Amino acid sequence: MSAPDLSVEIAGVRLQNPVMSASGTFGYGMEYEPYLDLSILGAIVTKAVTLEERLGNPPPRVRETPAGMLNAIGLQNPGVEVFIRDKLPALRGVGVPVIVNISGRSVEEFVRVAQMLCVDGVAALEVNVSCPNVQEEGMYFGVDCDLTGRLTAAVVDACDRPVIVKLSPNVTDITSIARAAAEGGAHALSLINTLVGMSIDTERRRPHLGNVTGGLSGPAIRPIAVRMVHEVARAVDLPIIGMGGIANARDALEFILAGATAVAVGTMNFVEPSAMAAVIDGLADHCRRHGVARITDLVGALQVG
Amino acid sequence: MARALATLMLREEVAPGHYLLHTDCPEVAEASAPGQFVHLRVGDGTDPLLRRPFSVMLAQPATGEVQLLVRAVGRGTEIIATHQAGTRYDLLGPLGNGWGAPAGEANVLLVAGGVGVAPLIFLADHLRSAHPRPYVRALFGGGTQDALVCWTEFAARCEEFTAVTEDGSAGDQGLVTDALAPEIERSRPDMVYACGPDAMLAVVAGICAQAEVPCQVSMEQWMGCGVGACLGCAVPATAGGYVRVCTEGPVFGAEEIDWERMVGP
Repeated sequence: MSAPDLSVEIAGVRLQNPVMSASGTFGYGMEYEPYLDLSILGAIVTKAVTLEERLGNPPPRVRETPAGMLNAIGLQNPGVEVFIRDKLPALRGVGVPVIVNISGRSVEEFVRVAQMLCVDGVAALEVNVSCPNVQEEGMYFGVDCDLTGRLTAAVVDACDRPVIVKLSPNVTDITSIARAAAEGGAHALSLINTLVGMSIDTERRRPHLGNVTGGLSGPAIRPIAVRMVHEVARAVDLPIIGMGGIANARDALEFILAGATAVAVGTMNFVEPSAMAAVIDGLADHCRRHGVARITDLVGALQVG
Repeated sequence: MARALATLMLREEVAPGHYLLHTDCPEVAEASAPGQFVHLRVGDGTDPLLRRPFSVMLAQPATGEVQLLVRAVGRGTEIIATHQAGTRYDLLGPLGNGWGAPAGEANVLLVAGGVGVAPLIFLADHLRSAHPRPYVRALFGGGTQDALVCWTEFAARCEEFTAVTEDGSAGDQGLVTDALAPEIERSRPDMVYACGPDAMLAVVAGICAQAEVPCQVSMEQWMGCGVGACLGCAVPATAGGYVRVCTEGPVFGAEEIDWERMVGP
């Protein structure tokens, strides 16, 4: 059979395949250029950008946990102006859609960042309503339906780019937040962000992380992420970017079958810089083996019962 | 900056819980500068998950050998401690910025704490070939004699070598930092190079600043990606904010690090 069609569309943005980087795990792309042909990716999702420069949290910022890791970076970034001036030109040059993750302390701050990012080379915005490591920030929005809806609507108004809302798993019912984002006008959803976790140095009786708590990511969280994608896909009629511990094509297919149109690889980029290339190849191979002409035929194709 | 496969030729237990890995990795042997590190994947699986950074202890371009010094302190390094000859390692590297060259005649003082000796052995080795008349003095400290790991390899590359242990089981009794100020006073080095625990480096930095002797430190930090993307290995910078051990470091000018924020007042 001919090569399977891996292309997908997320909120009007055409991707050559459904595989992208997860925000915060791929810097601003160029860090990985020596290890991976960036032009093969479906999209590049940047590390979070805020209005002003953020210095980040005191060390230690990362800690390995069983099949995962905790991080508490604290949204360190140079600010949106420097991002546009120093990071975006090289990213644009890669030739794949660039999705910029944005964060802020207030609706107004999100809006200003979104307005400034209405520039060539930005294909879509991902609204980070769920960073667990900065108090009273994204997380504050992402656990509250009203705030999520209001913030989403404000960002949608602020910029003509598609708006993807990144959901926090640290909630009682992720579908209610997903609905609020949909009602606010979100064009797509991405999930999940990290789970709040903690690890303790028993010899020193101190937390391992400088920030005390951090966000848990990696294969350890994958079953939770797949379950949440499954729930949200049934609750909301929006394209979903699924993520959480994807290490290979089989993992990515779990998310796609559960209802994700696209997938993001996060922590595994640290472990294997070419992980996304292997996922893309593996998806094509799976389609061939199963006689699937288009990867979109597998989206939500889970059979239950 | 590249990736390579290294084959374990010999794993030598050089002290209790300390292993010297003799690996065959021509690309890294050829490309490594003293002070650089490799980011090593422990296995194919996802537990342990992250790569481990190790300073290169010696690189021999002629033979393709790369030596790495491993202290078994956690899951990853304890697994490495069981590896047999023939084990293949997936490496990123060499990564980071290595030691800067000394001014003048290479009259230098090396200060090592425990496994911090590794990048200093490579430096001492390099100075002997790069300078016509190097004069390398070394202070090597540890809790006990066992912590003075690979001290013979270190001492063999130094004109003068002083061991210091906290319990007095080898060399002088005390902290390596106790010996530093008198040594600087005596030998007036062009440069001090130090690697060891953060608390040691902070004291070394302070003594060198006081004595107005330039000092470079090689730092260790928990690391995610190793290539500058995750910002996980940040340490506080004097200029404000943070610098990345993997990318701006692991070797820094001692004055670049905000030691009070790093280790407390």
